[in-house]
Order: sequence, then C-alpha cells, then structure tokens
Amino acid sequence: MITVSQLTKRYGKRVAVDDLSFEVAAGRVTGFVGPNGAGKSTTMRMMVGLTRPDSGEVRCSGVRYRDLKSPARTVGSVLDARCMHPGRTARDHLRATAALSGMSRSRVPAVLAEVGLESAADQRAGKFSLGMRQRLALAGALLGEPEILLLDEPSNGLDPDGIRWLRDYLSGFARRGGTVFVSSHLIGELSMFAHDLVVIGGGKLLVAEPLAAITARNDVAVVIETPHSARLLALLAERGLPTDGTAGRVVVRGTSRAAVSKLAFDHGIHVVGLTETSRSLEDSLLDLTRASAEFASAATS
Amino acid sequence: MITTDTTVHSSPLAPRPAGPRPAGSRAPIRARGDDARGLGAALRSDWIKASTLRANRAILGLTLIGGLVVSWAVAVMVTDQVLTVAEVGFYWTTVSSMLAAIAGVLLFGSEVQHGTLATAITARPARWVLASSKAVTAAGFGLLIGAVGLAAGFGGAAIAGLDAGNTSSLVSTVSWALLFSTLSAVLGLGVVMIVRHNTAAIAGILVWGYVAENLFKLFLPAEVARFLPFVAGNHLLAYKSDLESPHALAIALSRAENAAVFGCYAAIALAVGTLLLYRRDTE
Repeated sequence: MITVSQLTKRYGKRVAVDDLSFEVAAGRVTGFVGPNGAGKSTTMRMMVGLTRPDSGEVRCSGVRYRDLKSPARTVGSVLDARCMHPGRTARDHLRATAALSGMSRSRVPAVLAEVGLESAADQRAGKFSLGMRQRLALAGALLGEPEILLLDEPSNGLDPDGIRWLRDYLSGFARRGGTVFVSSHLIGELSMFAHDLVVIGGGKLLVAEPLAAITARNDVAVVIETPHSARLLALLAERGLPTDGTAGRVVVRGTSRAAVSKLAFDHGIHVVGLTETSRSLEDSLLDLTRASAEFASAATS
Repeated sequence: MITTDTTVHSSPLAPRPAGPRPAGSRAPIRARGDDARGLGAALRSDWIKASTLRANRAILGLTLIGGLVVSWAVAVMVTDQVLTVAEVGFYWTTVSSMLAAIAGVLLFGSEVQHGTLATAITARPARWVLASSKAVTAAGFGLLIGAVGLAAGFGGAAIAGLDAGNTSSLVSTVSWALLFSTLSAVLGLGVVMIVRHNTAAIAGILVWGYVAENLFKLFLPAEVARFLPFVAGNHLLAYKSDLESPHALAIALSRAENAAVFGCYAAIALAVGTLLLYRRDTE
C-alpha cells in the first residue's frame, strides 16, 4: 500500500501540492484524477523520490522510497513512456534496467512476453510507436515483480486493444494482491476498472473514496415530456420537489420514474415520454474540479 | 519507418509467482552495504548502455581510422625532418583525447536528453552510486579510446615505413598518454553533469581546448598558462611544440605535475556534477 501524509510542494510562490493525504490500498486499483496542473505528476514524482517534498512524506509498503532496499522489487513506476534511448533495442534497454536494479537477466524475456513485445525485442526503440513505448516502459516497471505499480497516463497512445489489455492486466495485478495507482484523464476508462478514486484540484485533495460511493451520489433526474407541462410543474411544486421545465418538458429530482408516472396518471396528464437520467461520473468530477482547473477552454455555444 | 501496433499481438496474462508480502508488513530497508553492492550493478548497467549504442562504436571507429590516416599522412607528407614511429604515434592523441572527452559527455548527456536519468534514479536512489559508476565507465572508455588511438597512431606511422626511433621512454609516454585520454573522458563527464546539454558540453570543450586556451596563451604569463587544463594535459605527451616560447618550455611542469593539474580539473568537474545530481534531480 501507499500512504501519503501531508505532502506539500511549492515552486516559488506557487503551491503545486498542498497538504495532500490519502492512502492507496493493496489489492485495489486506485485512479488518480485531476485537471491539468492539479499536481498529479508532481505527486507521483514525490512518490518515487524524483522530487523532494517541502513537507510531508510518502511511504510505500511502510518505507520511504529512498530507504527501500530494492526499490524495483517494491515499486514499479512509469512516469514517462518516452524515457528510453532511441538507439537502443528494447531488449538492451531492459537488460540495462534489470542490471541497474539488481534483477536477473532472465526477467527480460519474461517481461517482454508479459507485455507482448517479444517479436519487437530486437528493434530499436526509436522505431517504436507510442503504444509500443508504453508497453516497453511497463515492461521495465515489471522487471522487479513489484508489489506496487505507479503509472502516469499509461493509456496514452494505446489503441483500443491495447487499452483493454492494459485494463485487464492492471485489474489482474490488483486481484493478485498488488497495489495499482494510475493517473489518467480518461475518467470513463478509469471508471471501468478502478475501485477507488483520488481526485485533486489546485494541489488539494478533493475526493478520496471508493468509486461506488462517488457514483451513488450522482443525482438521478426524471425527465417527462408532456403537453401539460405547466399543470405537472404545479403538481410537483405542491409536493416540494425541485423542478426545471420548458414548454413540453419537465425535469424533476428527488423522486422516481414510477412515482411521477402515477402522479401524472392520477391527474389525467398525458405523458409522451418518461426517462430517468443520472449525471455521468465525468460530469460530476468535472464539476468538482472546475474551480481549480488551471487551463479551461471557453464554453461552446 | 515506424512500426505500428498492428504487428504486436496482445499476450495472455502471464502466470505470476506467489503474491506480495502480507498486508501490513514493511518492505526491507536499505542498509549501508547495499549501496556499495549496488555499485557493481550500476557498472554492469553502464557497460550495457555504453556497449549497445552506435555512437560509441562510431567514436571508436573514428579514433581507429583517423589515427591510421593522420599518422600515415604525416609520415608520408612531412619530408623536411626525420620522423619516427615513436614520435608520430602520439600526434593523434591530442585528437583522440578530445574524442574521449566527447564520449564522456555522451555517457551522461544522452541519459539526460532521453529521460533515462530519471529511470536510473528510481532504480538506484543513491545518486553517488550512479555518479561513481558513470565515472568508472567514462574512465574505462577513455582508456580504451586512448589505447585504440595510440595503436592507430603507431600503426599508421609503421605502415608509412618510418623507423621505430628512440623507444627507451615509449612505455612511460604511452602510460601518460593513456592517463590523458582517461582523464579527458572523466572531464567530459563532469562538464555535461554540470551543463546538462550534450551540444553545449561538447562545443564548450572543443572551443575551450582548441581555441580559448590558445588565445589565453598569447597574453597570459607562461607561469599561469601552464595551469590551463588542456595545456597541462597535452604536456603529458611530452613532445615539444614549435609554438611554445623557450621561457614556457623552461618552466614547464613535470609530467606528474601536469597530470595532477589536469586531474584536478576533471575531479572538480565530477564533484560539482555529482553535487548537482543531488540538488537538481531531487528538485
């Protein structure tokens, strides 16, 4: 597991990470979400000792990263899939990484097989597509058979088959007791396999909960299409329900489709359409992080 | 040509060994001896990195071919004085030592350029292990370049038909020349660890060694100029330059002193570079 305690990092006057505390449990996939500039990459760099925090600490399996006897056997990280020499073959890249980590050279063909790069093992990394580089970077992280995987935007550049492969691999890794901490902008993709979410914005923790708890809180709205929208609005308002309506369409929250249907039937209101909608996880998280987004595009009309 | 993902097939999930340690237990903690043992691992890694890059093979090839061609050409074309293998063999060392410095630059500079330095630091958080390994690898590679350059220099002169000449101090001069090449590689490594840019480091070393120092020698007193790094380094080769004044030749440092001067520059560059490795790469 990973324990982040009161982590803070400043660059001059700008606070990149502000008193961040959360835990990443073993046996689960934890998604790390936030807008650009939220502090995700800085946090992950502090986790592996590439950036020194101004205060607070991170412990992986109870130990600070720099104190780990064999970092590669505890934490496998992919913070930038482009980090490889283009003139070196995939096999030589992994041989050098394995040697530096103190791993047996027999791990090289094993991890190449795990990520599906055996046929490209002797090709120079400079000729790899981005997806292949992602796989090679993941192979490097797996050399030490770590307990923890830290991945920063691992699905960048992967085709749908590759994304599915990665999703299945990380889910399997967590099922076998490993800890997976993955940052991504693809909220929809994360929601398919993450168990927990940590959401940050402006360097601060916004949410750190199981995904099921976050989705359960999303409002359910009933949308009714009716030529008698004014009458229906009045009936719903009498019952104290929050409503929103335009001509021919009424949106009401805090009730169910069955209850609205019965109300309309009892009062002879003709209903043309009756649907239930909920806000997507993406909408919920975007609303949560909107105030702290560093770069925001103009709203489309 | 870019290889696309369509040539790569997803593999089934590979079976893994027994799961991680029990929940709540701590990972093993690094002890003092672990870093020292890690130095061997770092050296193996750096050897793999150095030996698998075409640039390094190109430098060795250039050293060999350049040495053969230049020595042969000098032997054949200089006819107004009697040259010997024992003299001409060292002419190329000035250039091959620069090539060694460039190799030292690339050893670390390519890691910065391609982002593999971060990967190395996550694998070995003890930065002194990485710096020490790079220094030893640079020294080894510099020694190899020096040996190849000398072999090529002597070989080219011999092919041209020169006499062997006075070989009484040959072993001694070869040793000093190899030291010059070795220290040049370490100096190159130290410079790039400071400037963190391949082109800037290589250009800086070349301009300093071939241009700046020659300009400084024009106006600096000989007592000061003899402490310039490449002035000291080139004097390890002990051949007398027609460009130096009798006064400069008279007060020249001994080879051991010249080695100490040049070595100090290399050591200081390496020390500063290592300090920056701690400060800059744990930002």
